[in-house]
Amino acid sequence: MKLTRRKRNMALITMTPLVDVMMILLVFFMVTSSYLDLDMMPMVQTKAEGQAAPAAPAPTLLIRITASGEARLRGQKLTAQSLATALQAAPHARVLILPSGGSNVQGLVSAIEVATQAGAENLRVVRLEAQ
Amino acid sequence: MMKLKRRSQPPPQETIVSLIDVIFFLLVFFMLVGRMDATAPFEVSPPVSTAGESLPKGGTTIAVAQNGALALDGEAIERPALLARINSILADNPGLFVRINAHAEARLTNLLPLVTALEQAGVGDVVLVVTPNPV
Repeated sequence: MKLTRRKRNMALITMTPLVDVMMILLVFFMVTSSYLDLDMMPMVQTKAEGQAAPAAPAPTLLIRITASGEARLRGQKLTAQSLATALQAAPHARVLILPSGGSNVQGLVSAIEVATQAGAENLRVVRLEAQ
Repeated sequence: MMKLKRRSQPPPQETIVSLIDVIFFLLVFFMLVGRMDATAPFEVSPPVSTAGESLPKGGTTIAVAQNGALALDGEAIERPALLARINSILADNPGLFVRINAHAEARLTNLLPLVTALEQAGVGDVVLVVTPNPV
């Protein structure tokens, strides 16, 4: 006697649960991620420290940031042009930023931005003592 | 009157495969574009500057609120506890990268002493988060 195996229907893979899981993942990533365009400014860098060792003591340009957040160079309002002119007179000068404690973060960042635009190479922020 | 019989049509088969393709594409897009950072328990809008460099991923984030409140990786924390936590992280990972996400209107007395304290603790890489576009 010959036995014949009954033909079975092919098992259908249902795609709906897969779509459900992907949808949940999609919503999760959309909600939890942040899409802000962020950049950074270095504050402490130990790697660069070894390179900056000029043979002759470089002249220093001091930028003060007032409590209202305004940056001043030699008593005048700081602009990229005024700092670039001062840097032309004293190339490779050390640029020090002395902020008032009352000024805000935006004031400091704006002063660093102007100094970077003017081409300051050796830029430092005078930091207040740790409390 | 003649009776018109509508021919019975088989229900149209919706191809779910194309839907899966689209959702998968969107999923990969949002995973790549988004940044999975822990958000601070207070509002922080970073200072605006076009002179920033691109922000690397990873590391630890310290958020500074406008009133000087601090948060470490999305969790509100006091300053002594924060420095203790940083010290314990440093013990495991000496090359720790710290991002400071400070509010644009936060006073520098709340930021600069913190940077000094981090440097004294031995953190070699501290950056300040800025944004090229105002929020």
